[in-house]
This record gives sequence, structure tokens and C-alpha cells, in this order.
Amino acid sequence: MNEDYIDIILADDDEDDRLFFTDAFEELKITTKVSTYNDGVYLMDYLNSEEIILPNVLFLDLNMPRKSGMECLREIRANDKFKDIAVAIYSTSASEEDIEKTFVYGANIYIKKPDNFKKLKKVLSEVVTINWQYHTNGLNKEIFLLRL
Amino acid sequence: MPSRIYKAPWFVKAVFIVSFFIIFFVAGVTYKNMSKLSESFDLIEHKYELGVELEQMISYLKDAETGQRGFIITQDSTYLEPYFSGRENINNSFAELKQLTKDNEEQIKFLKKLNILIDNRLANFEEVERFVLKKKNNIDSPNLIPIFLEGKQLMDDIRDKIKIMIELQNKRLEARQEAYGNNLELTPIFLYLVLLLSLLLMIGAYYKIISNLKKLKQTNKQLEIFKESANQSEIVSKYGNWIWNIEEDTFIFSDNLYRLLGEEPQSFKASAANFIQFVHPEDKEKLRKQVEMMMEEENLPYVYYRVIHKNGNIRHLKSYGKTLVNSEGEKRLLGTTTDITDEIENFVKLEQRNFELERNNKELSAFNHVASHDLQEPLRKIQTFLSRLEDKEENNLSESGLKYMSRIKSAAARMRLLIDDLLQFSRTNKADKVFETSNIYLLLEAAKQDLAEVISEENAVIVADTFPAMNVIPFQIQQLFVNLIGNSLKYKAKDRSPEIKITYEKVMSSKEAVLINAKANTYHKIIFKDNGIGFDNEYAEKIFILFNRLHNRQEYSGTGIGLSICKKIVENHQGYIFADGQPSIGATFIIYLPFL
Repeated sequence: MNEDYIDIILADDDEDDRLFFTDAFEELKITTKVSTYNDGVYLMDYLNSEEIILPNVLFLDLNMPRKSGMECLREIRANDKFKDIAVAIYSTSASEEDIEKTFVYGANIYIKKPDNFKKLKKVLSEVVTINWQYHTNGLNKEIFLLRL
Repeated sequence: MPSRIYKAPWFVKAVFIVSFFIIFFVAGVTYKNMSKLSESFDLIEHKYELGVELEQMISYLKDAETGQRGFIITQDSTYLEPYFSGRENINNSFAELKQLTKDNEEQIKFLKKLNILIDNRLANFEEVERFVLKKKNNIDSPNLIPIFLEGKQLMDDIRDKIKIMIELQNKRLEARQEAYGNNLELTPIFLYLVLLLSLLLMIGAYYKIISNLKKLKQTNKQLEIFKESANQSEIVSKYGNWIWNIEEDTFIFSDNLYRLLGEEPQSFKASAANFIQFVHPEDKEKLRKQVEMMMEEENLPYVYYRVIHKNGNIRHLKSYGKTLVNSEGEKRLLGTTTDITDEIENFVKLEQRNFELERNNKELSAFNHVASHDLQEPLRKIQTFLSRLEDKEENNLSESGLKYMSRIKSAAARMRLLIDDLLQFSRTNKADKVFETSNIYLLLEAAKQDLAEVISEENAVIVADTFPAMNVIPFQIQQLFVNLIGNSLKYKAKDRSPEIKITYEKVMSSKEAVLINAKANTYHKIIFKDNGIGFDNEYAEKIFILFNRLHNRQEYSGTGIGLSICKKIVENHQGYIFADGQPSIGATFIIYLPFL
């Protein structure tokens, strides 16, 4: 892990969302390294490849072709190697069912994609500057869903 | 006669038994009296014979005496003839007397004494004879006198004895007559009375039989009517009856059972084999097994099978049987067979419709969810791009360009609202409704939290009573509160800040006019009262209808879904929601939730 910048990965099949995401981090004055993957398969292939630097925060879209965010989450939490990665769910939906499931499967935070770029920047800056110690192990369901 | 006894079923039997014994008794009494009568007659005859015989004896003795005396006087031996024949006759007569008195000890005793006297008399005769023959004609001899005197003495004794014997016989007869006289006198009256009683009993029995016969006829008539109505009901209700005598293996089929098989009534012999011919080949084995089971258990559960009519129609039948044992110990299986083809067809149709409905519902729900869900994504992008455009290019746009952009923004915002509400509406439809005992106050606080921004913006005051714990679907009740408070905030009066008063009351459904048809007895009554713009009560019901709005979009931004969701939530709880409005004064929403 790198100490100089925050390593961030986003897995999202939507091109526009990936654009918003990278744009937002570009505009934010935080030293980050953002890489994006087009779906769950690409993401897991990358994470499972040898000699990589594991990201600090992983943003997971739920609804993706081939391998969904939920499947990725389960694989990641099943592997001890990834135990230090903070997983943020980054989804259009905020249905009770999805929130409950991802919480149970061990995601750290749940973000509903905002409909406003300013809000998006605010959310992302909050997430990457969070004290993850507090959010680890998903002990507190009250603060799981990030409210704005 | 008490009518209860008269009506008793054993009455006729009893009367006949009593009558039989009476007649038997009368016959016995009559026989006894007759035999007594003939016995008395015998006795009289006997007495008469005895009397005659005794007289005869005296007469013979006298004849002998007279003959002897004649001989003594005349010395002519011809006088002795009656004497000799007299002796012989006396012996005969004596034998006869012996015969006549053999059944009477006393008479026998007397007869023995008489016998001795007679023997002595005869000996006396011989003595006199010897005396006369020895001393010829010497009748004046003084020696003869004592002998003669002795003869007289003996003769007197004999007479006495005979008199006693006749008297004895008379006494016996009298005693007998006295003993049986009363009896014989009473017998005719007794017999007459007994016969009369028997006659009365017979008459009673006769009436009983006649009345029974009448009743039987009446019952028969009713039975006939009942049979006819049973026949009709069999035809109308499409069922038939059968009786199976298990021991004799004989069957009785009702007329309609034949019709159920598509045959004319009683057109073939009622038997298991003939019936099974009609059964659908696939069901034959099943029915046979059931019949075998019936043989063992003698109690048939419902059997379902098909039969094929001669014209090829397939009908579904259902049979049920029950064993009955009658008073003679005969086992019978009484069964009913019903044609359930229509029911099965209806059931299949209903099931199909249900299935379709369920599928449609699922599809609709899925469509609703997916549509609103998937619609969000492009909308969110439009909004995000709009916000970027606003941030970056605002200065490069003309005035009309800015105006168009603001229009696009508000249109997009409205679309978002619609989608959010629709999503919520479809979510309240979902089947997984878990009731939990919930703290209503916490749910209200959570609702207020959801609306915190607007509440503080509007300076709204919300006052609430305390609530008891209720068994509800928590997130739905929270949604209900959000929607109702949101509604009040949205339709606030322009000249005053919103005030919402929430009151709670426990009520009996019988006391509330609007709960006449309510299922539960007690309800939680929650009232939301605001000081907003209110509404005309004309629309009190309309406002709960989906997409129904009372106001123009420019004035108030509503989707017409919020209150529909409220209604749906309350209905999910088997409750009721009513609205009451006063234009420009305020609106009141009354919610009734049953105690669960």
C-alpha cells in the first residue's frame, strides 16, 4: 500500500459514471490514484493478478454484466488477502434489500449515486477521507448508508 | 288405559300373550270342572248301584229266610228253592259289593263286618236246617227258639249295617256335593268374566292394529314423498346412492346412479363388476384397490375416479361409503357417489385464472420496479450533466438558454419525484410484510428526521401524543408518517407556518360511525390535523386515488402518489384512513389501525 496517495478503484460498467467519477476526483484536491474497471470480471482479474498494489478503497457498482458487484463483494470478503480493502457500494438503487445484503456481506459503506455533480464530489471526498477504522467490520448499520 | 301403554310397540304382543293364556286357562278350568262333574255323576251312580245291591242282598236274605220258614212250617222241600238260590245270589251280590266298595276303606271295613254277619246268618240258616232235618217236624222244640232268635238278631244287625253303609255313602256324596257345589256354581260367572276380559283385550288389540296400520299407511305415504324428493335431489345435485350388502355381495343402485353413468335407470344388474366397466381404464386399478380396502376396513374414504359414458363423455365422480350394521347383524355399506365434473372444471379454471393473475401481478410488480429503477439511471445522468453544465458553462449561455436549462432542470426534478414515488408505491405492494411490535414514537421521530430539512425550512411545529406499542410493519408506518407530514408541509397556508397536531386514542369499533363494517373490535385511532390550505370535502375520497391531484402543478408539486401510498399502507394493516378538509383552514387525516 502506498502512503503518499490514496489508491482508489472503481468497477462500473457505465461509461458516464466512470467519467463523473474520475472527473470528480480530478477536481478534488486530494492526492489519489484512480483506476476504473468495466465490470466485475475485469476487476477480479486485476485483484487476483500477482504483484499488484492493493487499493485503499474499492467502489463497487452493483448492477454489472458478467459479474455483479454483489458477487465481487462476496469473493473479496472470502479472501483474507483483501481484508484491508475498504469496500464502498456505489449504486443507483438504494433498496432496503440491497443495503441489507451488502451490509451482511461485509461492505463498509453504501453510497447512492447522487444526481448532482457537486454532491458527488462531496460524497467522494467524504468517503476517501473517512476514518476507516470506524467503518471497518461493518459493526454499525446506522452509518452504513451514507446520508447527505 | 293410559295412552302411553296403548301406544307402546309391545302392546299388541302383550295383549295376544295375555289372551292366549286366558284362553288356555279357561280351557283348563273348563276341563277340570267337566271332569269333576262327570266324577260326581259317577259317584251318584255308584251310590245308587251300591244301594240297589245292598237292598238286593237284604232281599235275598229275606227270600232265604222266608223259604226256610216256609219249609219249616210245611216240611215241603220246594220252599227251600228260594233259600238255595238266595244263598247263591247272596254270594254273587257280595262279590258285586266288594267290587263297588273297593275304593273306600270305611265301606270295606263295614263290608267285612257285613260279611261276617252274613256268614253267621247263613251258618244260622244251616243250623236251623240241620235242626229241622234231624228232628223231623219238631218245630216246637225249645231248642229251636234260641237258634231262631239268634237268626233274627243277626238279621237285624245286617239291616243296621246296611243302613249305615247306605247312609255313609249318602254322606260321602253330600260332602262331595258341598265341596264342589260352590265351585260349580261360580265357574260359569268366572268363565264369562274371564272371556269378557279377553274379548276386551282383543278389541283393544284390534284397534291398536288398525291404528298402527293407518300410521303405517301414512308413514308409507310420507316415505313415498320422501323417496320422490330424494330422487329429485339426486338428479339436481348429481349424486346417486348405493347399498352394498357385504356378506351376500349384492348391490342396490339408485336410479340416478345409473344416470351418472349415462345409462337408463335400472338398465343393468347392480354389481361391482358392472359398475367398474364404466370406470376410466387409468382409474380402474385405483378403484379396485379402494374396493379391496373397503372389504377390509368397511369404511371408504373419499375416492375420486373418472367414468366414461357410452357416448365417450368423461365424468369425474367422487364416492364415499360408510358401514352400517342393522339389528339382524347384517353388514351393509351405504354409499354416495357424486358427479363433481363441474366442480373440477371450475376448480381448474379458477386455478388457471389464479395462476394468470399471480403471474400478471408479479410481472406488473417487476415491471414497476425495473421501470422506475432503470429509469433512474438515465435521469440521474441527465441531472448530473445538467449540474456540470450549470457549473461550467453558465456564463456562456444566453438568457433564453439559461431559461431552457432551468426548465429542463425542473422537468428532470419532477421526473425524479415521480420515479421515487412510484418506486415507493411498488414497494408497499410487496408481499413480505413483517409485523413487529414497534415503538411508534421512534417511527415518528425517524419520519421527522427524514423530513428534517423541510421542517426546519418551514419552521413547522409538530406536536404528538404518546403512543402505545403497536404491531405494525415498521418501515411502512414510518413511510406513512413521512407522507402525511410531507403532505401537510407541501400544502401549507402561505400566511402562517405549518402546525401539525398528532393525537392518539384507543377506540371501540362499535362506537365509531365510520367503522360499522370493521372486522376488529378495538382500533388505534391516530389523527393528523394541520393548519394548511385544506380542501373541499367533495374530494375527501378522491385524494387517495393514484395520480389524483387537486392542484395545478405550477402551484403545488405533487405526484398524486403520496396519499395513495398512505391508503395502501393502512390497508396493508387492515386499517382505514379518512380525510376531512376545510378549505383554507386545514386538513385532518384519521387513521384506524386494528389491535393485532
